[in-house]
Amino acid sequence: MAETITWELALDIARRDLLDLWRSKMLLFFFILFPILLMSMFGYIYPPVPKSNPNTGSIGTAFPNLPVSLVKMDDGQTANLIAAQFIQISGQQGLFTVSETASYQAARNQLVLGTIKGIVIIPQGFSDALAAGQPATVQVTVDETNPTTASVVQSEISAVFNIIGSSISAQNINNMDGGRVNPTFIMQPISVTNIPLVTGVSSSFQFLAPGFMALTVITGSLQGVANAISREKEQGTMDGLLVAPIPHRSIILGKVGAQTVRGLIQGFLILGLSMVLFGVQIYGSPIIMVIVMVLGTASFVGVGIIMTAIAPDQETAQMMTIILQFPMMFISGILFPIDQLPVWMQYIGKALPLYYAADALRKVIILNASLGAIMPDVLILIAYTFLTMTIAIPLFDKAMRR
Amino acid sequence: MKSKEVSQLKSGSQAGYAIETIGLTKKFSSFTAVDHVDFSVQKGEIYGFLGPNGAGKSTTIRMLCTLLSPTSGTASVDGYDIIKQGNDVRKRIGLVSEKMIMYPRLTALENLMFFGGLYGMERNALRKKSEELLEMVKLTPFKDKLVGGYSSGMRQRVNVIRAVLHDPDILFLDEPTTGLDPQSTRFVRDLVKELKQRGHTIVLTTHIMEEADELSDRVCIIDHGKIMAIDTPQALKDKYKTASLLEVFLGLTGRELRDSANERISMRAPMGRM
Repeated sequence: MAETITWELALDIARRDLLDLWRSKMLLFFFILFPILLMSMFGYIYPPVPKSNPNTGSIGTAFPNLPVSLVKMDDGQTANLIAAQFIQISGQQGLFTVSETASYQAARNQLVLGTIKGIVIIPQGFSDALAAGQPATVQVTVDETNPTTASVVQSEISAVFNIIGSSISAQNINNMDGGRVNPTFIMQPISVTNIPLVTGVSSSFQFLAPGFMALTVITGSLQGVANAISREKEQGTMDGLLVAPIPHRSIILGKVGAQTVRGLIQGFLILGLSMVLFGVQIYGSPIIMVIVMVLGTASFVGVGIIMTAIAPDQETAQMMTIILQFPMMFISGILFPIDQLPVWMQYIGKALPLYYAADALRKVIILNASLGAIMPDVLILIAYTFLTMTIAIPLFDKAMRR
Repeated sequence: MKSKEVSQLKSGSQAGYAIETIGLTKKFSSFTAVDHVDFSVQKGEIYGFLGPNGAGKSTTIRMLCTLLSPTSGTASVDGYDIIKQGNDVRKRIGLVSEKMIMYPRLTALENLMFFGGLYGMERNALRKKSEELLEMVKLTPFKDKLVGGYSSGMRQRVNVIRAVLHDPDILFLDEPTTGLDPQSTRFVRDLVKELKQRGHTIVLTTHIMEEADELSDRVCIIDHGKIMAIDTPQALKDKYKTASLLEVFLGLTGRELRDSANERISMRAPMGRM
């Protein structure tokens, strides 16, 4: 008897809670949108990978046609032949679109800018080594700021050179003449070694830490300002600010200022912990890091204000910020490369400031980039700040006098 | 605003009104909360602004405080237009709204220092004024305690002195004694009288008719967004031949319950208020 009553009461309470959700149409909309958005994103992050087939020599890839540069430092006939084979096989298998670059430095600059994902170097003496019956080495540098893509590029380049190498092996075995050749030359005529993008970097967390910093700063600014405003609205203190002879811009600026300080504290806490616990090293200027983090905060404050202005209550405002911030982690290239997302999703990722803040911080911390080198990111963050603020300030004024 | 209204506003301020409204109207979609309201408040008086729930009292006060834009009509506060000279209006008013305007994680003194600072008051003068007002409301021993730990009565005392820190000419008190115990209610009422003595003009809303009768020089009874009567409490009682303002109020606004529902849920105003 007592059991039944408990159940009935629980049902009543559950029914009322659900009715609450049903009655708030805006909340319901975002409530339904959230899992749909999340699932479709994960589906693209872990796409089905085409199977590799060792018999036909086909290499499956989840990242088709990644741009890589080929730097040929040897002009020998064999080097040219193998370079041509590399380009041909990469193209046939849909692995890479290969462009030739004159120097390693030029290619490295492209890699830092993100226009290519890897560099293949055929070093000087490559042809001579093979001609002399010695194994030769191809060098590879990958975009280590993006660990997933980096390992894919590295292994796919190795796979292509294995295919090239096995055809040379076959020839070598045919040409065998009584033990005067190097056995490694027969087994593995071409090997692939890695030249690190930055020397001395061992922890892969090195590449994740800047992304986490940007993520913390930006989601903090989105949520922090939205919460601060809706809390003041609900507790009544916003009236005290609005009834004082001060411009609304001062209120917004004050909120942004406090949020910036909070963001910087959290950002540097992440960096400090990464250094102490995971051996992350800083190669760039802390001042430029601060500039990027301040701009990251500023770029997203407007979005938070727009959301509090639109949302009818705090719960909906929170749902809206979560729906923006959670997928942002996945489509802004912080945890996963965005290359395998569909193009439209990449556009969304690149339309959000997190992508640029993370990119800039990574370049400053790992590659010691100057302010000039990250200027495109900086300009986009500034533009984003102005754009969102232009929308947010009048919207805030209007919402406060509703 | 029409030119006729401008000239009326000017003459209003010359005539020495603290507040004058002209056709003040506020609509929330199809619902008219305040409907072409005209009234004026004399300098230095306590003006009781009375009406049932949803009558339009708070909406009117929020418009006069520039927290809400009128749909049509306008008003002057201390001679300044609420639409065009919002900042001049804000410099001259103080607001005690039903929700306490103070930060629970700040002490009483910190709250006063913060809000006084918004009015550009000089730090030392502000501290002196804050301490003097805290003394007046007998909160000096608690001035360095967080207001989050105060009782409702203590909070309301801080809330009232917060509103008068910058010496506003006009003070809006929206139900200042709601939810207080008899001791605190008595104290706040005496405080209101004291503030009148100090020269503030006071607009007071309350549902307690005995409070309105005791404090108000004149009362304005509003219902369905329209003004029903304006006079001194005594004159109204004489006119309706009754000994209590409550009877006057019920006679004018009816005894039946006022039920109406707005389609849009308002999260900004507490339930039951428009």
